[in-house]
Amino acid sequence: MIELYHLQLLSAILFALGVYGVLARKSAILILMSIELMLNAVNINMIGAAIFLDPNQIAGQVLAIFIITVAAAEVGLALAILLRLFRNRVTVNVDEIDIMKW
Amino acid sequence: MGWAWLIPALSFIAFPLIVAFGRFLPKRGAFIAIGAIAAGFVLFWVVMAGRVSAGATGSDVFNFDWFTVGSTTLRWGMIIDPLTVAMLGLVTLVALCIQVYSLGYMHGDPRFDLYFAEHSLFAASMLTLVLSSNLLLAYIAWELVGLCSYLLIGFWWERRSAAEAAKKAFVTTRIGDVGLLIGVFLLFFSTEPHTFDMVTIFHAIEAGEIGSGILTASALCIFFGAMGKSAQFPLHVWLPDAMEGPSPVSALIHAATMVAAGVFLVARLFPVFEAAPGTLVFVATIGLITTLAAGGMALVVTDLKRVLAYSTISHLGLMVLALGAGNVALAVTAAIFHLLMHGFAKALLFLGAGNVMHAMNGELDIRRMGGLRKVMPITAATFAVGSLSLGGIPVLAGFFSKDEMLNAVLHGGYPFFFTMFLIAAFISALYMARALFVVFGGELKKENEHLHEAVPSMTVPMVVLAALAAVAGFIAIPWTAQYGGFGTFLFFEQAERFHMNWGLAVGSTVIALGGFGLAWAIYIKGWLRAEAFIQAMPNVHRFFVNKMYMDDLYQWVINRGALVVAGFIAFFDRAVVNDVGVNGPANQVRASGWNLRYHVTGRVYNYALGIAVGAVAIALAWWILAF
Repeated sequence: MIELYHLQLLSAILFALGVYGVLARKSAILILMSIELMLNAVNINMIGAAIFLDPNQIAGQVLAIFIITVAAAEVGLALAILLRLFRNRVTVNVDEIDIMKW
Repeated sequence: MGWAWLIPALSFIAFPLIVAFGRFLPKRGAFIAIGAIAAGFVLFWVVMAGRVSAGATGSDVFNFDWFTVGSTTLRWGMIIDPLTVAMLGLVTLVALCIQVYSLGYMHGDPRFDLYFAEHSLFAASMLTLVLSSNLLLAYIAWELVGLCSYLLIGFWWERRSAAEAAKKAFVTTRIGDVGLLIGVFLLFFSTEPHTFDMVTIFHAIEAGEIGSGILTASALCIFFGAMGKSAQFPLHVWLPDAMEGPSPVSALIHAATMVAAGVFLVARLFPVFEAAPGTLVFVATIGLITTLAAGGMALVVTDLKRVLAYSTISHLGLMVLALGAGNVALAVTAAIFHLLMHGFAKALLFLGAGNVMHAMNGELDIRRMGGLRKVMPITAATFAVGSLSLGGIPVLAGFFSKDEMLNAVLHGGYPFFFTMFLIAAFISALYMARALFVVFGGELKKENEHLHEAVPSMTVPMVVLAALAAVAGFIAIPWTAQYGGFGTFLFFEQAERFHMNWGLAVGSTVIALGGFGLAWAIYIKGWLRAEAFIQAMPNVHRFFVNKMYMDDLYQWVINRGALVVAGFIAFFDRAVVNDVGVNGPANQVRASGWNLRYHVTGRVYNYALGIAVGAVAIALAWWILAF
């Protein structure tokens, strides 16, 4: 049988992989992909909560839909910013974007 | 008489009026000041009539509540007794004459209106001091008088010496004022319930409610204040320097009124002095030292106004000596009488000096003068009247007042003080005659032949004052059956009818004539030469020429004492308070910011790492705390 902890473990592993991606990638697009991965990991956690913890089995699903929507909107914005950045700097390498420093 | 406060009030409101509107008015608002003081003079006569009709020797007190703090109510009040009336007359009359004189003397001065404003303020403060029956109000008026003195001495403050002299005057009198304040508070706290009212304090003293130690201490402290204002030794050093001010200012403030405030205060608070054993001897000693020291200095200085300044100090010393050493029933009468006569005569002399200075374009060295009676006859005549009066020549006013003081000291029970008084009288005649003969006697120098007399607005007040200096002495004599002489009008504890002490009169006349005669011999006839005296006593001469080294002593004390402490405090303020206290935290903030800036790398993933680490830390902390 699949238990709650299976789903939570899966969610945690995916989340950790996502965090690793955000912190260790040089390309901005890959960072955005990792953020998507983190959001989806959270989604799995929500579904798990809905299945095993909610008598109506509905709250987590609703929240998952919310998260998908927000993720989509946010990625749209992020890509727009990235596009702007690319047109100004001709690079998406975050190592080279550091002028707001001391 | 309850409206007598109008007398100072008129001059008080003249002050802001002239300051605000002076420059728009004709004559720059001087007539507001003169109007106020003339009205005060007229009101003085009304007050005098009221006092005489209500019983000439009584006193009326009017008290008004001011405000209440806890269980103490502060009042201010007026006392109308013969002493008040006499001083009111002196201040209003002399101030009026001098303000009229100033119209001519200060003509064309760019700050003409401010001069009259400050004059009004001074007159108002002095009149308040004279009227006040409340120690606190008296102290306030005392300080205001000192302030006006500062403003008027430093009237031509563009001149460095005048600014320094004003500062010196204010600081020196301030030192005395500390004593006065301590004395006032001692009296305040030693009465139950606490009060500043003079009459209440006098009753408490009579009833024996105040301990004699407190009385002695407060009497000495109050006298210290009087020493400052009345230029007694060792606080006399400001008065000669105060001659930097305009001559009318010297006449009013430093001859007739402000320096009289100290003597007036001792007379007003005489019950305190009389009840405190030993203080009167101290008072007399200080007066004696002052008289002789100032007399010595008056004999050697060559600046005309400084001769008059030292003469003022010397005469104030005589008054203080009379107050201290004189018979208690006679002393106050004699001292105040001389205060009035001296006020008229000395103001007159200073105005005369002002005329000479005006004519000679600011020159004051008497060695450059001589024979000025030929070109300035009115000035010479009035100056002569003033000199003779102060020297004690009969039948002028100064003769009567000096004789009253001699009489008081004769019956005071201290033969030493009496003898020294006689010596001081001789010296005072000598230096007065010296001033008169060197300036106005002798031959007219060639370069002075073009000088001319002063304008009538300047000579008329001098004639008025000269008339007073000549005949005012006669109020000492009982003219009618009801009037027993000045001693029955103004007295302490008991009225004394006027008795002519012929032996004393003849003796003092001989001394006065001796002084004048010696000066005549030296300066007019040339039978003796002044240089012979100088060569006979070179050290004494040098001692007095250097003003007894008092200024040097004070400067040494300031250099070694006050400036050292001030230097330390300045260092502490700069190094500790500023560099450590104020700049310290600011420097810390700046340093920490400078060192922490490396965290701002500009790279987003570094910031993301920070977020991740922080989130983990919070989760860990929550997990630990939950257990």
